[in-house]
Amino acid sequence: MCLAVPGIIVSIDRAWAQVDVMGILNAVNVLLIDEPAVGDCVLIHAGCAIQKISSDNLSYLSNILSEFLIKEEKNG
Amino acid sequence: MDNGILIKKMINEIQKSCIEKLNIMEVCGTHTQAISRSGIRSLLPPNLVLLSGPGCPVCVTDESLIDAAVEILRNDIILATFGDMVRIRGSLESISDQLHKRKNIFVLYSPLDCLELARDNPDKQVVFFAAGFETTAPGIALTVKLAYEENLHNLSFLTSLKLMPPVLHKILREKQKKIHGLICPGHVAAVMGAGYFRFVAGEYGINAAVCGFEPLDIASGLLFLTKKISSGYESAFANLYESCVSEEGNETAREIMMQVFDIADGNWRGIGEIKKSELFLNENYCSFDALKKFNIRPDKFVSDQRCNCSDVILGNIMPYECRLFGKACTPQKPAGPCMISSEGSCSAYYRYWEAGL
Repeated sequence: MCLAVPGIIVSIDRAWAQVDVMGILNAVNVLLIDEPAVGDCVLIHAGCAIQKISSDNLSYLSNILSEFLIKEEKNG
Repeated sequence: MDNGILIKKMINEIQKSCIEKLNIMEVCGTHTQAISRSGIRSLLPPNLVLLSGPGCPVCVTDESLIDAAVEILRNDIILATFGDMVRIRGSLESISDQLHKRKNIFVLYSPLDCLELARDNPDKQVVFFAAGFETTAPGIALTVKLAYEENLHNLSFLTSLKLMPPVLHKILREKQKKIHGLICPGHVAAVMGAGYFRFVAGEYGINAAVCGFEPLDIASGLLFLTKKISSGYESAFANLYESCVSEEGNETAREIMMQVFDIADGNWRGIGEIKKSELFLNENYCSFDALKKFNIRPDKFVSDQRCNCSDVILGNIMPYECRLFGKACTPQKPAGPCMISSEGSCSAYYRYWEAGL
């Protein structure tokens, strides 16, 4: 139940935003985050945006770990 | 590099690092499910044991609160809750057992939906039964605040909102099995900050990592932990989910949460009372407390001793070590909460046939 999904804010009307989650628009409450703006990537849990996130989640992790493994291979 | 190849390389590295038997606990039920669904568990060396933790909110909701929900349903009211909550049993019955009595029971995705339910039914009392951890609590707090501002007097809340650190302190202090590493819940940390879990390494000398929920995230967390544990150096803490989790978390969400709730001692199903482990509506919002509104005092209840769910979520036994697992307890006919919730460890083990049945 602590599952949260990422999405991109497409439009905002006061407390509610239309958020694109994998191509599907969802109404998401944005009162739990500071200064939401169109284009922000957010983490959504139970209908609320609970945190702003960076858009390059996977590439960040992949790059760090690729570097780590390449280093390990060289050392090994 | 392709993620599949990356994960394969990581698993190879994990296998090389696991010279001795290692126990790593994944605290969050969403992690338990993700580990099972991705098949990562079956790729790990046999001496690396993944223990499920107490991070499934359905599994730790006390029986007395289910009984309270059933009691409240004796009135002509509307009860709304999250999906898995309707199936868990209290001392005698579950919420879903009340359906044949033509009771109004709604399953909601968002707590905010209960505001509309209350607006649309002004002549009925609406009760939202909320269970969750720090990820869910800010959304519940926001819903309570909005109900207060809108004067929705026909809405109240039955809550089982737990905090992670107190139960982790209990497990790490009283553990029967030695825990060498901890995968910390990523979305609790998104709200509370990565720093919320630094005590695991600082106070207990146990390596810990905040991880995301994709197979790559989980494999990277396991790689980090096994490397650190096998190196034998001072215990470390890492935030491997930096794109979603900052050190300080979401202060706005925490403020709203603490405007609405006080922290007090809480009852955990099968575990008992844990000091300062639960959020309760504070005096400003106590008129929204369903227990007070319906004058119900939850009875303390002794759990079904045949069911070993409490030992499973404390990391003392594996799900398949419970004598009911796969026989008297299956997802179709569950005996305990860990088999009911999709995030329960027994359910995850059973569904993905990891016990070798």
